[in-house]
Amino acid sequence: MNLRVVGANLYVKLLGVYREKTTMFFTLAFPIILILVFGTIFMSQDNAGFHLCVQDLDQTKSSIESVKELEVNGKFKITRVDPGISATQYIRVNKVNLVLVIPKGFEKSLLRRKFFNDYKSSVTITYVYDPSSSSVPTKMEILNGVLAGINQEMTRIPPFVRSVDKSILTRKYRFIEYFIPGIIAMSVMTLSLFGTVNLNTELRQKGIIRKLCTTPITHTDWILSDILYQFTIAVVSTAAMLLVSYAVYDVKLHLDAWLLAFILLDVFAFVGIGMILTRFVKEAQSAAAAANAISFPMMFLSGSFFPIELMPEFLQKFAKTLPLYYVNEGLRAAMVFEDNLAALHDAAIIGVFAAVVFILGVIATRWEEGQ
Amino acid sequence: MTEKNGHTIEVENLTKRYGDLVAVDDISFTVSTGEVFALLGPNGAGKTTTVEIIDTIRPPTSGRVFLLGMDVTKKKLDIVRRIGVLPQGFNSFDRITVRETLQYYSRLFSCRNSDIAGLIELVNLEDKANEQYKNLSGGLRQRLGIAIALVNDPEVVFLDEPTTGLDPRARREVWEVLQGLKQEGKTVFLTTHYMEEAELLADTVAIISKGTIIAMGSPSELIENNTNYLVLTLQSADGIVMEIIRTMGFEPVLDNDKNIKTRVEHTDDVQKILSAIKDAGAFYLGLDVRKPNLEEVFLKLTGAAFHDGHVVGGGAV
Repeated sequence: MNLRVVGANLYVKLLGVYREKTTMFFTLAFPIILILVFGTIFMSQDNAGFHLCVQDLDQTKSSIESVKELEVNGKFKITRVDPGISATQYIRVNKVNLVLVIPKGFEKSLLRRKFFNDYKSSVTITYVYDPSSSSVPTKMEILNGVLAGINQEMTRIPPFVRSVDKSILTRKYRFIEYFIPGIIAMSVMTLSLFGTVNLNTELRQKGIIRKLCTTPITHTDWILSDILYQFTIAVVSTAAMLLVSYAVYDVKLHLDAWLLAFILLDVFAFVGIGMILTRFVKEAQSAAAAANAISFPMMFLSGSFFPIELMPEFLQKFAKTLPLYYVNEGLRAAMVFEDNLAALHDAAIIGVFAAVVFILGVIATRWEEGQ
Repeated sequence: MTEKNGHTIEVENLTKRYGDLVAVDDISFTVSTGEVFALLGPNGAGKTTTVEIIDTIRPPTSGRVFLLGMDVTKKKLDIVRRIGVLPQGFNSFDRITVRETLQYYSRLFSCRNSDIAGLIELVNLEDKANEQYKNLSGGLRQRLGIAIALVNDPEVVFLDEPTTGLDPRARREVWEVLQGLKQEGKTVFLTTHYMEEAELLADTVAIISKGTIIAMGSPSELIENNTNYLVLTLQSADGIVMEIIRTMGFEPVLDNDKNIKTRVEHTDDVQKILSAIKDAGAFYLGLDVRKPNLEEVFLKLTGAAFHDGHVVGGGAV
């Protein structure tokens, strides 16, 4: 390895990207746009409940109070539906996904149960819903919880099992704060993988690789300079993401050497994969397709955007074979949970993976033509 | 390590196959130290494959190549430090200036004393030293490519079609740079399909066709050994002149400039043709009688390639 050669390559690549303002802008803009879009979505989820349409066919004091209870306990934003129209028709016309219907005779049944202890007296609340909507099951779950609470209260017997929340963290984190480390891991992966594949196929197509082949630069020098280049870009991009998330969403995460370590390991792993891909993919268009084929499953299955616990068991097992999963977990361990041992465990796994693909990348790199 | 018997390059039974295609078919030749050697041939003849095997870009299928006394398949790293290469279709980093590009390649060769300013001056790029590569014209890019090939002060310079795609003026500018290299005594290996280029610059020309070297020698030797005729050119001649010459048993052809060219064996034939034209009352505005040039030798030797339309140039007899 020749540090002078590595430095020369690094300088030329950084100078090139610095002068290519459009590339520079989109390199930084892409993860920031992700932060802004998902941040806005998550912040609104943290602060607000669902929208719920209620059709009160009883129109009594008790039914009106029950609707208010839904508003307070279920955190629903209530829209009242005219009792004179069909709930099914209302859903179709107004493009809503669920209408809760309080039947006529609600108050009468309630009073019979309350004051005459008539245990045969009950009411049936109807959920009229559009099954194609993904938020309906969540709404029903919340509604069932509220109704269970009402039923419990009516029995006038204190519940036997109670629950209390106790977080393992010293302070309360919002979902966006779990999300940011995942976005850092994902964007560093994207930058490194696409950056390596695009740069190398472009240089090959332009014939620059053929020229480099007639100089003393070695494959190791070339890949190391690529890693340092991608690392520099990744650090700048991560700093921009952290600044934006702090300025816009007041996101405060624990920052220490682990962050740099995981960025470096992320870069090592995906530059290595990029070099291996470059060996087999010759054209720029195929290169982009191949990089997409690697990055997309990684992006969605490794827990960057949502917890892998939401996925079926076999996908969870698969997720744990993906290198990005360990970068996500390691960054969360370091930045959110401040758990050095867990971070070390994840760093060791991704470190071994990065070393293997780096060596394979060096072996796979071929500059000589017509082998 | 040094060259053997004054030969900087020794090629022995070199063959290169791509599947069923034989790009280079068992060729052997040597290049002497300090000479300009041109490998001349039509497109697809095997020029680039040959030069890229010699300058270590491609491995051979069989045969042996020694460059500066070293086997090119075994001593790549030692060899590349002592050679300079302008590959075919040379390109560089778009956003990097001429000066920065030369400094970059100088660092790749770990040259601490590269005369970057001198190289820029050598290829007449002083005015463009701070211009980014993407803003350079084709001719300027080729001149930068030559400067890069010289950044490590190489003993041998390989130039693969250095003037292809350039306009005549840019081509002449590159030739001036190459003549400078010749005067410096560098060994230069040049591939080209421009006859004029080979004739002007080369000490030795090897004509390659379909992967085989079909003739080799100095331009004058090639002309001497492969032609025994003269070329009569009649400018702006009357339409009937072609017919008159043809009836005399010669084979006149019309070149791109509408001049009639006829191959004759003796000066007596010229006299006979001119008398016949005069007797017929036909006219012409000018005439020229000369020995054949390298282009005509080339076309004679690679006739098949000419008929396939691969050769650059025209108007040969």
